[in-house]
Amino acid sequence: MYRYDEFDAAFVEGRTAQFADQVARRLSGELSEDQFRPLRLMNGLYLQLHAYMLRIAVPYGTLNSRQMRKFAHIARTYDRGYGHFTTRQNIQFNWPKLRDVPAILGELASVEMHAIQTSGNCIRNTTADQFAGAAADEIIDPRPIAEIIRQWSSLHPEFTYLPRKFKIAMTGAPNDRAAIRFHDIGLQAATNGAGDIGWEVWVGGGLGRTPMIAKLINSFVPNEHLLAYLESIMRVYNRYGRRDNKYKARIKILVHEEGLETIKGQVEAEFAEVRGGVLTLPAEEVDRITAYFAPPEFKTGTATKIDVAYESIIDPAYGRWLDHNINSHRQPGYASVTISLKPIGGAPGDATDAQMDAVADIAERYAFDELRVSHEQNLVLPHVAISDLRTVYDALVAAQLAEGNAGLITDIICCPGMDFCSLATARSIPIAQEIGRKFASAERQADIGDLKIKISGCINACGHHHVAHIGILGVEKKGGELYQITLGGDATENASVGKIIGPGFEAEQVPDAIETLVDTYIARRTSADESFIAAYRRLGEAPFKEALYGNA
Amino acid sequence: MATLNMLHSERKPDKLRSLGILALNGMFDEMDAVGVLRQAAQDILPGDLAIVSSFGADSAVLLHLVAQVDPSLPVYFLETGKHFPETLAYVETLKKQLGLMNVIAIHPDPADIKRFDPTGELWETDPDSCCHIRKTEPLEPITEQFGGWVTGRKRFQTKERGVLPHFELTSDDRIKVNPLAYFSDADVNQYKIDHGLPEHPLFSMGYKSIGCAPCTSVVAEGEDPRAGRWRGLNKKECGIHFDFNGAIASPMNAAKFTLYKDGAFIADPFHAWEDGDDAATARYKHVPVTVFLANREAFLDNQAPLGLLVSPGEKIEDVEQDLSRFSSIAIKFPAFTDGRGYSTARLLAERYHYDGEIRAVGDVLQDQIPLMRRCGVNAFVVTHQPTREALEENRLPEVAIFYQPVGIAEVPVGTRPYLRRAH
Ligand code: SF4
Ligand code: SF4
Repeated sequence: MYRYDEFDAAFVEGRTAQFADQVARRLSGELSEDQFRPLRLMNGLYLQLHAYMLRIAVPYGTLNSRQMRKFAHIARTYDRGYGHFTTRQNIQFNWPKLRDVPAILGELASVEMHAIQTSGNCIRNTTADQFAGAAADEIIDPRPIAEIIRQWSSLHPEFTYLPRKFKIAMTGAPNDRAAIRFHDIGLQAATNGAGDIGWEVWVGGGLGRTPMIAKLINSFVPNEHLLAYLESIMRVYNRYGRRDNKYKARIKILVHEEGLETIKGQVEAEFAEVRGGVLTLPAEEVDRITAYFAPPEFKTGTATKIDVAYESIIDPAYGRWLDHNINSHRQPGYASVTISLKPIGGAPGDATDAQMDAVADIAERYAFDELRVSHEQNLVLPHVAISDLRTVYDALVAAQLAEGNAGLITDIICCPGMDFCSLATARSIPIAQEIGRKFASAERQADIGDLKIKISGCINACGHHHVAHIGILGVEKKGGELYQITLGGDATENASVGKIIGPGFEAEQVPDAIETLVDTYIARRTSADESFIAAYRRLGEAPFKEALYGNA
Repeated sequence: MATLNMLHSERKPDKLRSLGILALNGMFDEMDAVGVLRQAAQDILPGDLAIVSSFGADSAVLLHLVAQVDPSLPVYFLETGKHFPETLAYVETLKKQLGLMNVIAIHPDPADIKRFDPTGELWETDPDSCCHIRKTEPLEPITEQFGGWVTGRKRFQTKERGVLPHFELTSDDRIKVNPLAYFSDADVNQYKIDHGLPEHPLFSMGYKSIGCAPCTSVVAEGEDPRAGRWRGLNKKECGIHFDFNGAIASPMNAAKFTLYKDGAFIADPFHAWEDGDDAATARYKHVPVTVFLANREAFLDNQAPLGLLVSPGEKIEDVEQDLSRFSSIAIKFPAFTDGRGYSTARLLAERYHYDGEIRAVGDVLQDQIPLMRRCGVNAFVVTHQPTREALEENRLPEVAIFYQPVGIAEVPVGTRPYLRRAH
């Protein structure tokens, strides 16, 4: 894992002091709210429905037990005993007091963390595959480059007041678990003819009110030129991105309105100027950062297999957990474990201080002190010895974190919605909870198989409903809440945006509507191996539509 | 509803009524606020009197009077949706502590918000319209329902109020009751102390006159309390009266020099280009890019010192070969959130090696100056007072080490010289 040196520490300390000064000026009234707003946003501090909300960066979703314990401590001391993990691999605290924020940032700095650029119209935290450095299908661990991007983009003077926020996601594997085609820039590891590893650069993806799949702007940029290439894109966007309309200000609109070829021409012209200049990344420096992410010292000679069928008979709950919450590891004898933050009836992504402490303990003892946050709002232990799985499971059971539902129908991504968010037009957490209750039966979930439900409380789509197999969008209609259902979205390398299936439903009707869709799928699938999304692609929307609305 | 409307249409100026009002004004001791209010609520306008309160820094006194006379008197609060959370909390505090039983929040019409202010930023571009949809419109149907209104106005606040009586008749024949007309600032404070009234949570933080959050800032010691409202905007008060009547913000003393360069505020030889200026004879003017391009030959023949003004959206590439013609290039930041000028500055300094003065003009604030500097800006036109002080006292909020190579003056530091820089 990356470790701060003196320079990094001094930087974060400087930034914390700077922000403490800004908070002091706001409290004293020297700064008005409109002057303070962009400053606090630049440091992850939002004004929500009930209180301030502080968003803390977990760079590319990687953290250690000390950092997790610090979150627990902050939740206990400055908040109401819990934190909320987000789809950007960050954590949010919903109830801090403005005057406490500098102290919280000081606490974070002591464990090499910060809230820099977790909001505002700047380059946000770069996200990455939650199984980076562990997954069996990986070409290269994207985190060293993500760390370099983090540093290059931190308080970048030219790109701090962009037309709109800017998000970069990376994956080192061909199976895209980081939804890179739905980010402003997506980077996917690629090899060129000579066998060198570099990056495919995708640009102009995004969700929100105008979902767009990113377009490939360059099929191979080597590490050496990556920062120069990114700076070229950023400059074109900063200069030409629309600023007249907040809803048209993301780079996806620029790419869409101007056309990929025009933007590509501008980027290439800029790149021709800066290429080979100060941003050229020396190979030794990439190596030096990469060394921080060296794999841990795996043990050999331990068990490399686990008989899931056998375990399922002895302890069905454990069996289900093994079935769904384990990802294959590139090191024989190891596995990655997903810790579900989606208990039936809970608020997706929430963890209590005690749970965070428990997870930290487990990571320290059984997972080389490493943890990840996934964009699906779960936690991950990237490296667990197969021989330790039962012990880890038991510890998770004790912490009430052993829900074996990763990737299943109750593993719902859900935005805060009307319960916390001032922009919301509808509730979202209660909908997720109701659907969870409806499908609480573990056997039924397992029978349904992989199915991604995502819920947003308004058109801003923080819950990623556009890329859900079944997406739910809460809208306001005639003073009440109405939920639109979309089908067929996909955030992976087979990227697609879901289609609205028909008129919306009242909140109480949503779980039944979902059940109808699921039953239709079960009745029509070729076998239990055909997933919902595969069946939908084969069948089209007609049978689902008919099931929901009748044969009109 | 029908009856109310009827009442309203019948309400016309009435001579007897106005005479009666005159008489009323003689009935009470100057400081007998309770007496005034009781008379209004019980004898003159029973069931027909209400109050609009902003629940601002000095609303507590009037509300305390209401609580003594009749805690069920309707108290309307304009819930514009833009209040400080502290104000909303204060509403609850006062309600509870004073036992007010009839505080009614008035909300703007959601259709209006959707139509005119979908982004919630109307206050920024057009505060008058913002107030119109959030205050004037929602209040209108309510005002029609009552024959009399209690206000918190005081004589001392403005010149016009030097003659404020306890009872007034308005042009549409409503009665305004001003129980605090004779109260001075000191009386108000004493009253608060005597009755242990809770202070608005923001009052101690320097907010003396509190309205909606985006439109309120802090006033300096000795400044008119209402100077903090709509600071920086050419707007003095809402189109409605009640608690919102205000004095006129005292204009900030214009600082003598606004150009900050090489560590000091200095006299600025340059002026803005004006309509009617002539390309052949202009001197010490910042010529807008479009004007320059339209009269390029004439400007190039003119030997006098000239500057260039680059606005966002204009491409510095278009004047690339003529840059050396200018001794100063001004980059316009119309709002500090518009970051296009940073790219312009970097191109000038780094790509075109322009070595004259690069100045930032417009919304130039202390929190952005360090970024501008890194991008190559070396002069700043500053009109914002706190920024001026920060520059004079050399305490800009800045992180002094950097993670990316930018500009021409920064030097490598630390262990990763390809990336790390300092001044
Ligand atoms: S989708 Fe809408 S309601 Fe949900 S968090 Fe985002 S802005 Fe808020
Ligand atoms: S006080 Fe400001 S935000 Fe409130 S209504 Fe008036 S202009 Fe709008």
